[in-house]
Amino acid sequence: MIHLDGVSVVVPASRRGDADRTLLADVTLTLTEHRIGIIGANGSGKSTLLRLLNGLRLPTAGTVTSGGFDTASQGRQVRTHVGFIFTDPLAQLVMSTPIEDVELSLRSRIKGRENRTREALRLLEERGLGKLAHQSIHDLSGGERQLVALTSVLAVEPKIIVADEPTTLLDLRNRLALRDTFARLPQQLIFSTHDMDVASDATRVLVVDGGRIVADGDPAAAIRFYERSMAMTP
Amino acid sequence: MNAHANVLGFHEPGDGWLFRLPVGIKYLLMLAMVVPPLAAVQWSVTLACLVATLTFLLTSGIHLGRALRLGWMMWSILLTLALFHLATLAPVSAFVRPGNLLVAVLAARMLTLTTPTPELMDALVWVLRPLRPLGVNADQVALAVALMIRSIPYLLGTVDDARMAARARGLERNPALLLTPVILGAVAYAERSGEALVARGIGERPLAD
Ligand SMILES: Nc1ncnc2c1ncn2[C@@H]1O[C@H](COP(=O)(O)OP(=O)(O)O)[C@@H](O)[C@H]1O
Ligand SMILES: [Mg+2]
Repeated sequence: MIHLDGVSVVVPASRRGDADRTLLADVTLTLTEHRIGIIGANGSGKSTLLRLLNGLRLPTAGTVTSGGFDTASQGRQVRTHVGFIFTDPLAQLVMSTPIEDVELSLRSRIKGRENRTREALRLLEERGLGKLAHQSIHDLSGGERQLVALTSVLAVEPKIIVADEPTTLLDLRNRLALRDTFARLPQQLIFSTHDMDVASDATRVLVVDGGRIVADGDPAAAIRFYERSMAMTP
Repeated sequence: MNAHANVLGFHEPGDGWLFRLPVGIKYLLMLAMVVPPLAAVQWSVTLACLVATLTFLLTSGIHLGRALRLGWMMWSILLTLALFHLATLAPVSAFVRPGNLLVAVLAARMLTLTTPTPELMDALVWVLRPLRPLGVNADQVALAVALMIRSIPYLLGTVDDARMAARARGLERNPALLLTPVILGAVAYAERSGEALVARGIGERPLAD
């Protein structure tokens, strides 16, 4: 469970004399649903909100607690508890090959290199990536990279997965495959998306606009609200 | 993917003798190949080390094509070096300078083609740990080396992309047009990589067992 209490993110103006920029304004939320989608226009604050959830970004006012840990003072525990998936999986993969990348994640909980190699291979095979274990990450397709990134994040055994537009860079087939994989994850999943089909997979949808939550609730209603607001202000 | 993108290559499992050699010995073997030609600056030493390094790779079941797949960028640097020294009427340098660079790259590939990166990292951590009192964080150095190995193909790829983009606009010869996107791309990539490290909690806990 994630709780945001009176959270604001304000950054100083880039030029002197300008007003400070408010990226997120006084957000209070309790996120308990199994599948939560976040939608909103480009620049509305979706990424800022998601980054708060695992302490990648800290609030300038208010507090964020993930799984009972405060993101500001207990960042390390928070990041073990909450895994983060980026839009661009190539930036997320730290090592040269999938097996090495998963092994790196396993260092925190498995002793001995051989044990880690075996477990990494098992986890990759579980996702149908066994054949790619020793390929260069640069030779994988976008969909394969995103699945490797997911495997690496899951290897830490987080309780919550936060994903920032995970399907945006994927083609239709890979998007469908990732949706399917996501649907089967036992973890709580909080994701942003521009794809209304993906958003409708959620049990709760938040609509962000100008750093505020402007709609929150049933996916169908929230998506309708968003589509109507976009049509009025093209 | 870009054919040039692999100066250091990457590990694929194999069963040749280099694959089975302890990583520490491989480091020493690499140094034994790289240092003498640099110190001697004689064509015979360069040639001997070049032949030896290639022999080591070939007898470990790495075929010539894979051993020499350094990408066009590396090969054009070697060629440029050779031509430069030929033009300055230094035929020995025309062989020794690029030859020594080639030995260094091939010797490094003896490690990177036959050793998983985690193993290279652990060995580095082990070697650097005594330097802790001097303020050397062995884990961070090992992680930095791993990041470097993984980033080289990406960064070389952006050079290629920038060249294509410049060519598409008929502006091939303008170095600013080539460099600007490459540098901006590198900075953005570094930023995203840093963020990914933080998000994954890597660097917050020690690497070694
Ligand atoms: N570090 C920062 N400094 C200043 N402005 C920022 C910073 N990070 C994001 N922004 C701005 O905050 C707004 C919201 O960004 P973001 O959360 O990335 O939106 P979204 O993910 O919905 O597209 C954007 O206008 C963006 O330019
Ligand atoms: Mg975003």
